[in-house]
Amino acid sequence: MIVPLEHVLYLSAILFLLGLGCVLARRNLIMILIGVEIMLNAVGLTLVGASAFWQQIDGQIMVVFLMAMTSAEVSISLAMVVYLNRRKGTVDVRAFDELRG
Amino acid sequence: MNPLLLFLIPILPLFGGVINVCFGSRLPHRLVSGLSVAAVSGSFLLATLLWPLGSGEGTRVVLFSWLKSAGFQADVGILFDPLAAVMTLMVTGVATLIHLYAAGYMAEDESPARFFALLNLFVFAMLCIVLADNLLFLFLGWEGVGFCSYGLIGFWYRNSKNASAGRKAFIVTRIGDLFFAIALLWLFSAFGTVMIEQINARVAELDPLLLTGLTLLLLGGACGKSAQLPLMSWLPDAMAGPTPVSALIHAATMVTAGVYLLCRMFPLVSLSPTGMAAIALVGALTALYAASCALAQREIKRVLAYSTMSQIGYMFLAVGVGTVSGAMFHLLTHAFFKALLFMGAGCVIHLAGGENDIYRMGGLKEKSPQVFWLFLVGILCLAGTPLTGGFFSKDAILLTAFAAGDGFYATLWGIGVLTAGLTSFYSFRLLYLVFFGTARQAGQGHAPSPLMLWTLPPLALLGLCTGLLNLPHLFGGHEWLTLWLGQPMAEMLPVGTEIGLLFLMLIFFVGGWVIAHVRYRTFPGDEQAGWRSFLLSGWQADRVYELILLRPYRAICRFCWQGGDKALIDGVMEGLARLCLHWGDYVRRLSNGQVAFYLQGFAWGLLLIVGWFLLASVK
Repeated sequence: MIVPLEHVLYLSAILFLLGLGCVLARRNLIMILIGVEIMLNAVGLTLVGASAFWQQIDGQIMVVFLMAMTSAEVSISLAMVVYLNRRKGTVDVRAFDELRG
Repeated sequence: MNPLLLFLIPILPLFGGVINVCFGSRLPHRLVSGLSVAAVSGSFLLATLLWPLGSGEGTRVVLFSWLKSAGFQADVGILFDPLAAVMTLMVTGVATLIHLYAAGYMAEDESPARFFALLNLFVFAMLCIVLADNLLFLFLGWEGVGFCSYGLIGFWYRNSKNASAGRKAFIVTRIGDLFFAIALLWLFSAFGTVMIEQINARVAELDPLLLTGLTLLLLGGACGKSAQLPLMSWLPDAMAGPTPVSALIHAATMVTAGVYLLCRMFPLVSLSPTGMAAIALVGALTALYAASCALAQREIKRVLAYSTMSQIGYMFLAVGVGTVSGAMFHLLTHAFFKALLFMGAGCVIHLAGGENDIYRMGGLKEKSPQVFWLFLVGILCLAGTPLTGGFFSKDAILLTAFAAGDGFYATLWGIGVLTAGLTSFYSFRLLYLVFFGTARQAGQGHAPSPLMLWTLPPLALLGLCTGLLNLPHLFGGHEWLTLWLGQPMAEMLPVGTEIGLLFLMLIFFVGGWVIAHVRYRTFPGDEQAGWRSFLLSGWQADRVYELILLRPYRAICRFCWQGGDKALIDGVMEGLARLCLHWGDYVRRLSNGQVAFYLQGFAWGLLLIVGWFLLASVK
């Protein structure tokens, strides 16, 4: 493996934190979904890096599954965003606080 | 004769009472009163027939064992000794006449069943006291009469004054009962038995100090029931009850239960000189106190109530100077003439159109000479007119007190003589105000029913003649009652001294009468001077109790309520609840429905966990 595992891990950690920051800081539903995608991909990157490091195929297979799942998730999420936007005329998460105590 | 028949004496009234309780409200009124009269007169007949069983040592019969556990045994048993026989005959006899009177008196009342049931149950409980062979059974009757008295004083309970008079009587006598109950337990722990005979036979074993304690406790119990100082304040208020009740319970029978108890336990009581002195002192002081209160009373029944208290004081004095026969003699004569007076008062109240105040009566002699003569007999006995029953019995007590000799008893004798003078004065005051002078009542009275009127002559006859029962030697008698009770004869004073004392009594009697005659033969107008209102209120006894007992009690109650319950317990509870509510409110705000906020929580949590593991791995 040319790239050392540490570099992969640093990159994926940075990606994950960026995604997390996006999820936490943004109020736009679509931006939050993008943040979630970034976090998922950071995890995928870690799996691929680890798979290459230990010469095991499992991690890469996992990532294939992850991609499939992500595409499904995105399609459902976007459908929901459209639906929510139709209900309240906004995609701001602050508008959806009906579950407050 | 089968001694078991003795049990029928108390059971008959119980039976009558129970039937009236269960079915009385559905029976016609005449049947209700007839039933109870029949029950009580049945007991009277039985008591008369079984009289021979009481002679000598008496008869003891046991129906069944009531309580039995380890060393403790209490039977439902009867001890029919001379003392109990005399008392039984008096109680059933007077009760029969009073039941008859009540049948006339309560003819118009709407709930006679309750009245007659309580009256019958009262007679049952009283007979339990009289006949019981052990103290626990006696105590059952003791509490029973208390309850019936409570129910009957507050019989017309719709008027809250009557109901509270009933409560007062119940609570005040309960204080006395507490002393009696302690004495009972103490006697059991000392002797291992509650049998009256066995206790009396073994009193000599006891420590003198213990004996004194027991005597004082018994005195406390007797004081409560017999309305002696300082537990006397309930009796005048008890007059709120119907008149037959006052006659039966608060004059003739229940209030003398204390005297009877002391007589029954006399072998124990007599061994404690301190206790005897206390009994005599309580008696003499109550006699004087009550007589002074009676001087200024305005209600006819309250005058009689105070006079009852005063006469029972004499009986206590008799027990205290050691003459059981004197106490029982006075108890008998008093029962007859006081029942007569109360029932006469009932007739008077009817005649005066429901008026109770003797200042609003007057001139009733013309209205009903018959009531006047009967009432006069009662008054003469009460005042101690020579040759009436009351004269002999009172005289016997005072003679014994005088013979006791030392300065203490001489003082008590002096109080007794002074009280006799006061008694004479207030008796005649009552007579003059009610029957003489001009008619001052507002309402139009009606004549008492024949049934009420015809129950009085037998009592009048008994009141006049009971003196013969225990006629002293000086008058050619043989002190039959003393012989029957098996008591030692009174110490013979020199004949000259005895005659001298009789003359002294006569002077006091005549003095009281003359003063009353001068002052009240014509109506003197309303009197409201300061000392009169002091006497009228019974030396402000109620106010004193209010001040020294009720106020502190209420203060303690208020403290426990406001300080203990409200501030402390409620405060802690409510404080905890408010705290939880506050915190809950605070925590509630965390759940604000913002997904980003929740995620932030996740993130911080994650950071925390990661940081923790990092720290752990560094170490």
